[in-house]
Amino acid sequence: MQFEVIDEFEREIRESLERQPPPASLKRKVMERRWQNRAQLDPSHTSARQRSRMIWFERIAASLVLAGVAGSAAIGHYAVERRKGEEAKQQVFTALRITNHAFQVMNAQLQQQGKDSH
Amino acid sequence: MAGDWQPDFEQLVDEHQSMVFSLALRMTGDRGLAEEIAQDTFLALDVNLGKIESSQHACLWLRRVAISRSTDALRRRHARGFGQWAEIDESHGARKLERGSALGIRIEALLATLPEAQRAAIILRYQEDLSPEEIAATLGAPLATVKSQLQRGLKLLRAKAESQLKEYIRAV
Repeated sequence: MQFEVIDEFEREIRESLERQPPPASLKRKVMERRWQNRAQLDPSHTSARQRSRMIWFERIAASLVLAGVAGSAAIGHYAVERRKGEEAKQQVFTALRITNHAFQVMNAQLQQQGKDSH
Repeated sequence: MAGDWQPDFEQLVDEHQSMVFSLALRMTGDRGLAEEIAQDTFLALDVNLGKIESSQHACLWLRRVAISRSTDALRRRHARGFGQWAEIDESHGARKLERGSALGIRIEALLATLPEAQRAAIILRYQEDLSPEEIAATLGAPLATVKSQLQRGLKLLRAKAESQLKEYIRAV
Protein backbone atom coordinates (compact mmCIF):
# COMPACT_ATOMS: atom_id res chain seq x y z
CA MET A 1 0.00 0.00 0.00
CA GLN A 2 2.82 2.32 0.94
CA PHE A 3 4.49 1.72 -2.45
CA GLU A 4 1.18 2.29 -4.27
CA VAL A 5 0.73 5.57 -2.44
CA ILE A 6 4.25 6.65 -3.33
CA ASP A 7 3.80 5.56 -6.96
CA GLU A 8 0.53 7.41 -7.24
CA PHE A 9 2.00 10.45 -5.60
CA GLU A 10 5.05 10.39 -7.86
CA ARG A 11 2.78 10.02 -10.87
CA GLU A 12 0.90 13.14 -9.75
CA ILE A 13 4.17 15.01 -9.32
CA ARG A 14 5.31 13.94 -12.77
CA GLU A 15 2.04 15.07 -14.33
CA SER A 16 2.02 18.38 -12.50
CA LEU A 17 5.60 19.06 -13.51
CA GLU A 18 5.17 18.75 -17.25
CA ARG A 19 7.16 21.29 -19.20
CA GLN A 20 5.39 24.60 -19.67
CA PRO A 21 5.20 26.33 -23.04
CA PRO A 22 7.56 29.32 -23.05
CA PRO A 23 6.28 32.86 -23.64
CA ALA A 24 5.81 33.49 -27.35
CA SER A 25 8.27 36.39 -27.18
CA LEU A 26 11.10 34.43 -25.56
CA LYS A 27 12.91 33.38 -28.72
CA ARG A 28 12.53 36.81 -30.34
CA LYS A 29 13.94 38.54 -27.25
CA VAL A 30 16.86 36.11 -27.07
CA MET A 31 17.70 36.68 -30.74
CA GLU A 32 17.42 40.47 -30.36
CA ARG A 33 19.68 40.55 -27.30
CA ARG A 34 22.12 38.22 -29.04
CA TRP A 35 22.26 40.58 -32.01
CA GLN A 36 22.78 43.58 -29.73
CA ASN A 37 25.58 41.81 -27.84
CA ARG A 38 27.32 40.93 -31.10
CA ALA A 39 26.91 44.48 -32.42
CA GLN A 40 28.80 45.78 -29.39
CA LEU A 41 31.67 43.37 -30.02
CA ASP A 42 31.79 43.24 -33.83
CA PRO A 43 31.87 46.42 -35.96
CA SER A 44 30.33 44.57 -38.89
CA HIS A 45 27.14 44.23 -36.85
CA THR A 46 26.81 47.95 -36.10
CA SER A 47 23.47 49.56 -36.77
CA ALA A 48 22.86 52.14 -39.51
CA ARG A 49 22.65 54.85 -36.86
CA GLN A 50 26.00 53.82 -35.37
CA ARG A 51 27.55 53.69 -38.84
CA SER A 52 26.21 57.18 -39.62
CA ARG A 53 27.66 58.45 -36.34
CA MET A 54 31.01 56.88 -37.12
CA ILE A 55 31.05 58.49 -40.58
CA TRP A 56 30.43 61.88 -38.97
CA PHE A 57 33.25 61.29 -36.48
CA GLU A 58 35.53 60.37 -39.37
CA ARG A 59 34.57 63.55 -41.26
CA ILE A 60 35.21 65.72 -38.21
CA ALA A 61 38.56 64.02 -37.59
CA ALA A 62 39.57 64.50 -41.24
CA SER A 63 38.56 68.19 -41.08
CA LEU A 64 40.64 68.68 -37.94
CA VAL A 65 43.66 67.03 -39.58
CA LEU A 66 43.30 69.23 -42.69
CA ALA A 67 42.95 72.36 -40.54
CA GLY A 68 46.09 71.34 -38.65
CA VAL A 69 48.08 70.83 -41.85
CA ALA A 70 46.90 74.16 -43.33
CA GLY A 71 47.69 75.98 -40.07
CA SER A 72 51.18 74.46 -39.94
CA ALA A 73 51.82 75.50 -43.55
CA ALA A 74 50.67 79.07 -42.86
CA ILE A 75 52.85 79.30 -39.75
CA GLY A 76 55.86 77.94 -41.71
CA HIS A 77 55.28 80.44 -44.52
CA TYR A 78 55.06 83.32 -42.03
CA ALA A 79 58.31 82.19 -40.36
CA VAL A 80 60.13 82.09 -43.73
CA GLU A 81 58.86 85.56 -44.68
CA ARG A 82 59.86 86.94 -41.30
CA ARG A 83 63.35 85.47 -41.62
CA LYS A 84 63.74 87.01 -45.08
CA GLY A 85 62.64 90.39 -43.67
CA GLU A 86 65.21 90.13 -40.87
CA GLU A 87 67.95 89.31 -43.40
CA ALA A 88 67.00 92.32 -45.58
CA LYS A 89 67.00 94.58 -42.51
CA GLN A 90 70.46 93.34 -41.52
CA GLN A 91 71.72 94.00 -45.07
CA VAL A 92 70.35 97.59 -44.96
CA PHE A 93 72.03 98.15 -41.57
CA THR A 94 75.33 96.78 -42.92
CA ALA A 95 75.10 99.11 -45.98
CA LEU A 96 74.35 102.06 -43.70
CA ARG A 97 77.30 101.20 -41.47
CA ILE A 98 79.62 100.99 -44.52
CA THR A 99 78.28 104.30 -45.88
CA ASN A 100 78.66 105.96 -42.49
CA HIS A 101 82.22 104.68 -42.24
CA ALA A 102 83.01 106.05 -45.75
CA PHE A 103 81.59 109.45 -44.80
CA GLN A 104 83.69 109.51 -41.61
CA VAL A 105 86.84 108.66 -43.58
CA MET A 106 86.01 111.31 -46.20
CA ASN A 107 85.27 113.88 -43.47
CA ALA A 108 88.57 113.11 -41.75
CA GLN A 109 90.47 113.53 -45.05
CA LEU A 110 88.72 116.87 -45.75
CA GLN A 111 89.59 118.14 -42.27
CA GLN A 112 93.21 117.05 -42.77
CA GLN A 113 93.38 118.85 -46.15
CA GLY A 114 91.92 122.04 -44.49
CA LYS A 115 94.63 121.99 -41.81
CA ASP A 116 97.34 121.48 -44.46
CA SER A 117 96.11 124.45 -46.57
CA HIS A 118 96.23 126.79 -43.56
CA MET B 1 34.78 20.56 -30.89
CA ALA B 2 34.11 16.84 -31.03
CA GLY B 3 32.72 15.01 -34.05
CA ASP B 4 30.88 16.72 -36.88
CA TRP B 5 28.28 18.42 -34.71
CA GLN B 6 27.77 22.01 -35.79
CA PRO B 7 25.86 24.07 -33.23
CA ASP B 8 22.94 26.05 -34.59
CA PHE B 9 22.02 28.58 -31.92
CA GLU B 10 18.53 29.31 -33.21
CA GLN B 11 17.72 25.62 -33.43
CA LEU B 12 18.99 25.09 -29.88
CA VAL B 13 16.69 27.87 -28.67
CA ASP B 14 13.77 26.26 -30.49
CA GLU B 15 14.51 22.83 -29.05
CA HIS B 16 15.22 23.80 -25.45
CA GLN B 17 13.28 26.98 -24.69
CA SER B 18 10.41 25.08 -23.08
CA MET B 19 12.80 23.09 -20.88
CA VAL B 20 14.85 26.12 -19.79
CA PHE B 21 11.80 28.28 -19.14
CA SER B 22 10.02 25.51 -17.20
CA LEU B 23 13.07 24.85 -15.03
CA ALA B 24 13.37 28.56 -14.19
CA LEU B 25 9.62 28.88 -13.63
CA ARG B 26 9.48 25.88 -11.27
CA MET B 27 12.53 27.11 -9.38
CA THR B 28 11.37 30.75 -9.01
CA GLY B 29 7.58 30.63 -9.40
CA ASP B 30 7.71 33.93 -11.27
CA ARG B 31 7.01 33.97 -15.02
CA GLY B 32 8.73 37.31 -15.58
CA LEU B 33 11.83 36.31 -13.69
CA ALA B 34 11.80 32.88 -15.37
CA GLU B 35 11.73 34.51 -18.79
CA GLU B 36 14.68 36.75 -17.85
CA ILE B 37 16.62 33.74 -16.57
CA ALA B 38 15.82 31.79 -19.74
CA GLN B 39 17.05 34.68 -21.90
CA ASP B 40 20.26 35.02 -19.86
CA THR B 41 20.81 31.27 -20.02
CA PHE B 42 20.58 31.18 -23.82
CA LEU B 43 22.82 34.24 -24.16
CA ALA B 44 25.38 32.51 -21.94
CA LEU B 45 25.09 29.48 -24.20
CA ASP B 46 25.79 31.70 -27.21
CA VAL B 47 28.99 32.96 -25.57
CA ASN B 48 30.07 29.41 -24.75
CA LEU B 49 28.85 27.78 -27.94
CA GLY B 50 32.39 26.91 -29.01
CA LYS B 51 32.81 24.72 -25.94
CA ILE B 52 29.63 22.71 -26.58
CA GLU B 53 30.46 19.33 -28.06
CA SER B 54 27.09 17.80 -28.88
CA SER B 55 23.35 18.25 -28.67
CA GLN B 56 23.30 16.25 -25.44
CA HIS B 57 26.06 18.40 -24.02
CA ALA B 58 24.04 21.53 -24.90
CA CYS B 59 21.01 20.09 -23.10
CA LEU B 60 23.04 19.19 -19.99
CA TRP B 61 24.72 22.62 -20.05
CA LEU B 62 21.41 24.46 -20.35
CA ARG B 63 19.85 22.49 -17.48
CA ARG B 64 22.83 23.20 -15.23
CA VAL B 65 22.99 26.91 -16.04
CA ALA B 66 19.21 27.39 -15.81
CA ILE B 67 19.13 25.82 -12.33
CA SER B 68 22.23 27.72 -11.22
CA ARG B 69 20.91 31.08 -12.45
CA SER B 70 17.51 30.45 -10.91
CA THR B 71 19.15 29.73 -7.56
CA ASP B 72 21.23 32.90 -7.86
CA ALA B 73 18.15 34.95 -8.75
CA LEU B 74 16.25 33.58 -5.73
CA ARG B 75 19.16 34.43 -3.44
CA ARG B 76 19.34 37.96 -4.82
CA ARG B 77 15.60 38.29 -4.35
CA HIS B 78 15.83 37.04 -0.75
CA ALA B 79 18.67 39.48 -0.11
CA ARG B 80 16.45 42.31 -1.33
CA GLY B 81 13.67 41.17 0.99
CA PHE B 82 11.20 39.73 -1.49
CA GLY B 83 9.27 36.68 -0.35
CA GLN B 84 9.80 33.50 -2.30
CA TRP B 85 7.07 32.87 -4.84
CA ALA B 86 5.53 36.13 -3.77
CA GLU B 87 4.60 37.19 -7.27
CA ILE B 88 3.20 34.07 -8.84
CA ASP B 89 1.47 34.91 -12.08
CA GLU B 90 -2.21 34.08 -11.76
CA SER B 91 -2.46 33.13 -15.41
CA HIS B 92 0.11 30.42 -14.84
CA GLY B 93 -2.22 28.61 -12.42
CA ALA B 94 -5.24 29.23 -14.60
CA ARG B 95 -3.59 27.67 -17.61
CA LYS B 96 -2.55 24.70 -15.52
CA LEU B 97 -6.09 24.23 -14.25
CA GLU B 98 -7.31 23.73 -17.80
CA ARG B 99 -4.90 20.88 -18.41
CA GLY B 100 -4.30 19.23 -15.08
CA SER B 101 -5.92 18.48 -11.78
CA ALA B 102 -6.25 20.83 -8.85
CA LEU B 103 -3.95 18.45 -7.02
CA GLY B 104 -1.29 19.11 -9.62
CA ILE B 105 -1.48 22.84 -8.98
CA ARG B 106 -1.22 22.28 -5.24
CA ILE B 107 1.74 19.97 -5.65
CA GLU B 108 3.45 22.64 -7.71
CA ALA B 109 2.76 25.21 -5.00
CA LEU B 110 3.99 22.83 -2.28
CA LEU B 111 7.13 22.21 -4.32
CA ALA B 112 7.93 25.89 -3.92
CA THR B 113 8.13 25.46 -0.16
CA LEU B 114 10.95 22.91 -0.39
CA PRO B 115 14.58 23.95 0.16
CA GLU B 116 16.23 24.97 -3.12
CA ALA B 117 18.51 21.93 -3.43
CA GLN B 118 15.65 19.50 -2.85
CA ARG B 119 13.40 21.43 -5.22
CA ALA B 120 16.05 21.36 -7.95
CA ALA B 121 16.50 17.61 -7.53
CA ILE B 122 12.74 16.96 -7.61
CA ILE B 123 12.23 19.17 -10.67
CA LEU B 124 15.04 17.46 -12.57
CA ARG B 125 13.71 14.04 -11.52
CA TYR B 126 10.06 14.58 -12.44
CA GLN B 127 10.04 17.36 -15.02
CA GLU B 128 13.11 16.23 -16.93
CA ASP B 129 12.78 12.55 -16.04
CA LEU B 130 16.46 12.29 -15.10
CA SER B 131 18.01 9.48 -13.10
CA PRO B 132 19.76 10.33 -9.82
CA GLU B 133 23.09 9.84 -11.63
CA GLU B 134 22.10 12.34 -14.33
CA ILE B 135 20.86 14.79 -11.70
CA ALA B 136 24.19 14.48 -9.88
CA ALA B 137 26.02 15.21 -13.15
CA THR B 138 23.76 18.19 -13.88
CA LEU B 139 24.07 19.74 -10.45
CA GLY B 140 27.72 18.78 -9.99
CA ALA B 141 26.81 17.15 -6.68
CA PRO B 142 27.75 13.75 -5.25
CA LEU B 143 25.29 10.97 -6.11
CA ALA B 144 24.66 10.19 -2.45
CA THR B 145 23.74 13.82 -1.81
CA VAL B 146 21.32 13.85 -4.72
CA LYS B 147 19.67 10.61 -3.60
CA SER B 148 19.32 12.05 -0.12
CA GLN B 149 17.83 15.29 -1.48
CA LEU B 150 15.36 13.32 -3.58
CA GLN B 151 14.29 11.15 -0.65
CA ARG B 152 14.00 14.07 1.74
CA GLY B 153 12.25 16.23 -0.82
CA LEU B 154 9.71 13.54 -1.64
CA LYS B 155 9.14 12.77 2.02
CA LEU B 156 8.63 16.42 2.85
CA LEU B 157 6.39 16.95 -0.14
CA ARG B 158 4.29 13.95 0.76
CA ALA B 159 4.02 15.02 4.37
CA LYS B 160 2.89 18.48 3.32
CA ALA B 161 0.47 16.96 0.83
CA GLU B 162 -1.00 14.58 3.41
CA SER B 163 -1.58 17.36 5.88
CA GLN B 164 -2.78 19.99 3.43
CA LEU B 165 -4.29 18.26 0.44
CA LYS B 166 -7.50 16.77 1.65
CA GLU B 167 -8.47 15.94 -1.88
CA TYR B 168 -5.41 13.79 -2.33
CA ILE B 169 -5.92 11.94 0.93
CA ARG B 170 -9.54 11.21 0.06
CA ALA B 171 -8.45 9.94 -3.35
CA VAL B 172 -5.97 7.43 -1.92
